[in-house]
Formats: sequence, structure tokens, C-alpha cells
Amino acid sequence: MIDPFQTILVVAALLLAAVTGAYVALDRSPDKVLIAVLAVLELALVAQAVVAIVQLARGSDAVGGGITFVGYLLSILLVLPAGLLWSLGEHSRGATAVLLVSLVTVAFLVLRLVQLSAA
Amino acid sequence: MRPDERSTASGLGRALVAIYAVFALSASARSLVQLATKADQAPVAYSLSAVAGLVYVAATLGLAEVGPAPRRLAWAAVGFELVGVLTVGTLTVLDPELFPDATVWSAYGQGYGYLPLVLPFVGVAWLFRTRSTR
Repeated sequence: MIDPFQTILVVAALLLAAVTGAYVALDRSPDKVLIAVLAVLELALVAQAVVAIVQLARGSDAVGGGITFVGYLLSILLVLPAGLLWSLGEHSRGATAVLLVSLVTVAFLVLRLVQLSAA
Repeated sequence: MRPDERSTASGLGRALVAIYAVFALSASARSLVQLATKADQAPVAYSLSAVAGLVYVAATLGLAEVGPAPRRLAWAAVGFELVGVLTVGTLTVLDPELFPDATVWSAYGQGYGYLPLVLPFVGVAWLFRTRSTR
């Protein structure tokens, strides 16, 4: 479907994961800048879901389709907010590492989504 | 929680809970879809996936200290997970044709970068580290 966009999403998620890794290494809690950038990524993921579901509703075959595909599109949206909530509950390296886990999960899920739409 | 016990949901445990939550959601959701759409194709494999999903849910809740006896729940879930991944992993390596479709624990979780094999060991280690020293 929108391959360049999804490439950007995966790269962005992995770059942010690397940045968050630096936060963990320096023992810094997520600050406003990091949270703002996460929000931008989340908005991009919402855009991905909206575009894909509109394409699906129009009957385009290019998006794969099916319950699994839509499930992936929507569950990706939950990962960052849930991760952020769980992460902000405590100030520790482990808590910041929760964001790292969330970002890697997002990158993995977007890749699976690309696989699903290619299948 | 006894006074000298450490929280399983704190520090490194917080990240561990996040990883377990990802597995809980993905394994449960996947097996629900499989059981709902093609249960007849591989009933044993899909049921096993559903069991694995429930085990991950229990481990997540236990480690996150939800419920009345979270540490006991976490021990039971992580222990089941360890036995499960070793048993299913060994069986599927010996006989790859055993299940018509893969489960999380097939070939020791090869399809998931062997994380399903590593995770219960980390879980057990974490439960040991945070337990009461008396």
C-alpha cells in the first residue's frame, strides 16, 4: 500500500528507540521533547490506520484486507500510549526502557503489517 | 508483600512487564483470530497458542502485581511457560510435522527470535532476585 510511508514509520520508530536507549543509558527519565516526538509518531500511525481503512473500505485489493490486517492497524495505536502510561508510573531506568520496548514493538508490528499486505 | 520483598513491577521489572504484555496481547489476539476463523485446520496448535496467550496474560498480571497473590501467580505462570516452551520446543524440533501450524513455542520460539525461550528464564531470575531474603 503506502510503502515509503511505512518505511519512514519503521525507521522513525527504530531511531526513536535508539534515542530512548540513550536516555536509558544516561539514566534520564522521558522529558517533554521525547514525549512530543512520540506523539508525532503516534499521529503518523493514526494516519496510517485511517488511510489503510479508507482504502480497504473502497475495496482496494492492494491492502490485503481481513480481520488480522485491521487488528494490526488498530492494535499498533495502543502500544505507545499504553507504554507511555506504564513508563511514567515510575522514575527508573527500567521504566524508561518500557518506551524502548514499545518503540521496537511498533517497528515490528508495522513490518508485519507490510508483510500482511504483501501476502 | 513482605517488608523485605522487592516489587516485581519496579525497575527492571517494569520493562519485563512491558515485554510480557506485548506477548500476552499478541499471542491471545492471534489465537483468538485463528480459533474464530480456522479452528478446524489445526485445533491442537491453535488451542495451545490460546493456552500460551493465557499464560502470558497471567505472567503479566502477576509481575505487574495485580490481584490478591501476584507473586504466586507470577511463579505459576512463568513456571508453566518454562515447561511449555521446553516441551513444545523439543517436540516440534523432534517432529516438525507434529502441528500443521506453528505456535509461539514451536522450535523454542524460533519464529519470535527465541524470545519465548529467553523470557521465562529472565522471569524466574527476576522472581528470585526480588523475593524475600529471609
